[in-house]
Parts: sequence; structure tokens; C-alpha cells
Amino acid sequence: MNKVFVIGVGMTKVGRHVDKSLRDLAAEASFKAIEEAKGEKPEVIVVGNMLSSLIEQENLASLIADHIGLRGVSGFKVEGACGSGGAAILAGYSLIASGLFKRVLVVGVEKLNERPTPDTSRGLAWAADADYELIYGVSFAGLNALVMRYYMSKHKITREEMGLWPVLMHENGYYNPYAHLRKKVTLEEVINSPIIADPIRLYDACPISDGAAAIYLASEDIARKLTDTPIKIAGIGNALDSTDLTSRYELDELLAARLSTQKALSMAGVSIDDIDVAEIHDAYSIVAMLSIEGIGFAPKGKAPKLLSEGRFKPGDRPTLNPSGGLKSRGHPVGATGVYQVAEIVMQLRGDFPGIKVNAELGLAQNIGGVGSNITTIILSR
Amino acid sequence: MTTVQRIWRFKRRLIKLTASKCLKCGYIAYPPKHACPRCGSRDLVSLDLPSRGRIETYTILNVPIKGFENSLPLIIALIRLGDALVMSEVINVKPEEVREGMEVEATIAPSARTLDGAIPYVVKFKPVEGSRKP
Repeated sequence: MNKVFVIGVGMTKVGRHVDKSLRDLAAEASFKAIEEAKGEKPEVIVVGNMLSSLIEQENLASLIADHIGLRGVSGFKVEGACGSGGAAILAGYSLIASGLFKRVLVVGVEKLNERPTPDTSRGLAWAADADYELIYGVSFAGLNALVMRYYMSKHKITREEMGLWPVLMHENGYYNPYAHLRKKVTLEEVINSPIIADPIRLYDACPISDGAAAIYLASEDIARKLTDTPIKIAGIGNALDSTDLTSRYELDELLAARLSTQKALSMAGVSIDDIDVAEIHDAYSIVAMLSIEGIGFAPKGKAPKLLSEGRFKPGDRPTLNPSGGLKSRGHPVGATGVYQVAEIVMQLRGDFPGIKVNAELGLAQNIGGVGSNITTIILSR
Repeated sequence: MTTVQRIWRFKRRLIKLTASKCLKCGYIAYPPKHACPRCGSRDLVSLDLPSRGRIETYTILNVPIKGFENSLPLIIALIRLGDALVMSEVINVKPEEVREGMEVEATIAPSARTLDGAIPYVVKFKPVEGSRKP
């Protein structure tokens, strides 16, 4: 299997881009990534996106390729709910690892603020089981709320302990120029914010974001030719779990987080203790806890306790979500997995424009559905 | 938004609470699967779940998805019925009365309108008499 390197990254500010279309956002991120790769023309474009059907636009690979001057290249879109970006990177990685191509541009893009919120919320709930869950009108926040109540009850976690994560994320994201919500919040503000889907409150939830991120993947010979700071994809793993919540083995454990992490660690030949920095998928406070535990940064049911002891902040190892995570950087759904990898690449190169972590080895975990499609990626300097 | 033919296709399952049980490893799954998620066997039988059980966890939605704007607050629960969990709406109860462990029973009630304007009837759950007080 050929080695795969990231030789360029690009991202737009995450936010509510009323003045920019899906193609504008994708072009901005793509041009930055291609520029970092010295203008080298990609042979393939792989697009990560979940909900472009909401704005009546599919066939994204040809749309974006044509708009960024790549008519005639190969390409396709990859969909895995909120995990679309990570899944697109897995596809792009495989194209180079197999030897079929040497230059692949992976673009994650999402345009959610084009429709009224109930429409977008319904779209996000398409990640659930349409026949058995969506039919009752449950939102994506509602699905995660079911898990949050179960987790808090079973592990005797307080509301205050669950509120520590959003406070930390807003603290980190405050320094990230690409972040959607750049403001610090207090624990009191978190635990008194409006209830969306009890027990999930507004500040437990990520915002509805627009944005695009791109990474340029290359084979070793191309990487050596074009950059002095190639970042290696040392390991990559993806795992699936049930779309529905009810047939899960355990409600308080993300099977696919554990399995995808094991696959990535095994491929990289490293242990979880070697990770210096990670970007995890904190769509809701509860998802952050389950991701931390699924990866193995905390024992089951213990992530809130470790947070209350001050773990995972800048200066600790591993530092989690120096970007501010989905909570503060934002969650442009199909782009999020690509943002996470772009951010880890910048941390390893030392040029992330927000909170910097001195790191040799980083991890990104992108989650689709309530843990039903998870990609974990390990990157090394 | 779902359609009439989609509801028609799985109408029995919407009112019967049918799970699948694996004859090889015994794993019970709701929704029913085409193969056992645990061992992969296609040797499955249908299993009608009991109509009475207890709320394992629940949420009260204050923010709607499209089509459910008039259904707030919406109480959604995961309900343990024998060896399976099912997701459903809990009705005939005030949001402040719902609690984990509450005993509920299945009933048939109208759902939100489909894309083509029909109002399907689906299984929902209501508290068993006498289970409202802790």
C-alpha cells in the first residue's frame, strides 16, 4: 500500500454565509489547498457532503470541479451523514494508497443556512431511521438527548459536569479566526440556556453552520517534490453501527468510535497514549463524552470526571479540540471531518492560527448519525 | 416527509411492534433486520413484543422539525418491552409527569400528515393507569 500525505489545506470561516453559495465556499477552500500544493493540478476531486439535496443540488463533484477549473478530472461525492467529510477522506486516501492516483483533492462543503431551521433540522434527522424514528418527529438533538439522559442517569453525572465541555470549547474557539461562535461562555450560561430537547440545552449543541474545508492528498514522490512539511496519514479507520438507537449493544457506548480508533491505531502502529492532540466530534456535549471514552482517552462513564479535574485543556496531553470543536468552531456537517484533519495538519506543521499545541502525532474523529458512521484518522509529522 | 405507500408498506410493523430474533445467537433487534447485526445469520424469526413496558430514557422536544410544528412539546422515549427497546411518542401525559421507569402501554394514535396529505395511525404509548405517581 502506498503512503499518503497531506500537502495542502484550506478552509473558509465557519458561519452563516448568506452572501456565499455552496460553490463559492467550496472554491475558496479548494483554491487555498491547491495553492499550498504549489498549484499542482489534482487528478481527482472527492466531495464530502450530507445535505446538498436540501438546496436541490446534487452531482457536487462535477459542479465544484467545473467551477474551480478542473473540468475533465475524475470525482464523486461521498455521504455518511455528519461523518461525510471523514468518509470522503477515507475514499481519497484509498485512491492514492491503491496506486490508482497520486493527487487527490478532498473537499468537504455544507450550506445549511439556506432554508428555515425546521427544514434543516428535518434534514439533519435524515441520519436517523426514517421508518422507525423520524416518523415520530424526533430531531437529531432529540436522539442525542435520549442518550444524554441515559448516560447521566447510569453514571450519576451532574448537569454542571456536563456543562464543562461547552465552556472549554468556547474558551478554545475564541482564539480560532475560522470559528463560527467566537465568544467565551460561563458554566452558569450553559446550564441556564434554553432547553432544545431536554436535557440538551442550547449551549450543549453545535450551531447550524455553513463552510468548506479542503485537503490536498498526494503520494510520497509528489509530496517530496512539492512541500518541505508533508504530514503523513499514519492510520485511518472507519466503522459503522446501527442507524437506529434501539438495537444498539449499549446506549452509552459508541461501538464505531472504539472500532475505528482500533483500526487507525493498528495501521499507524502507535498506542492511544502517543496522541498529543485530537479534534473530536462534539456535536452535543454528550457526543463529546462518548467520543472521548470510545477513543480511549477516558474509561467508560469517566470523561466528565476527567474534565472536572482539568484534563484535555491546552497544555494537557492530549489537548482536545484546540479549534473549539463543533461547539465553537461550528459544524458545517459534511465539511466537519475535513476541517478536523486540516486543523490537525496545521497543528503538526505549527501554523494553526488559534491555540497551538506542540505535537508530533494527532488524531481526528468524525461522527455521522448518533455514532453510526465514524472515521478516525491519525496524522504524524 | 413520508408518503402513503411507504406507510402502507410497513403498516403492520407500525402497529404490531414486531422485532427480529436470531435463531443462531438469540439476538433480538428492533427495528427488525434482514440479518442478525451481531452474528450475521439470516436465520431469523419475527417476534411480537409485549405491549406494556417501562420508559428507559426520554426527551421533551421544544424545537420542532418540519411537519411537527404543531406537536410541541413532543415527548419521545425509548421504552423497554421485554428484551427489546423501541422508540415512540408518549401521549396522555404532561411533560413534567414523565420519568424514567414509568410504566407505559401501547395504543394506536394519529401521526403527522404525510407528504400526500394522509394522516397515518401508528403505535404510541400512554401511561398505565396508576403509574403517574412515583
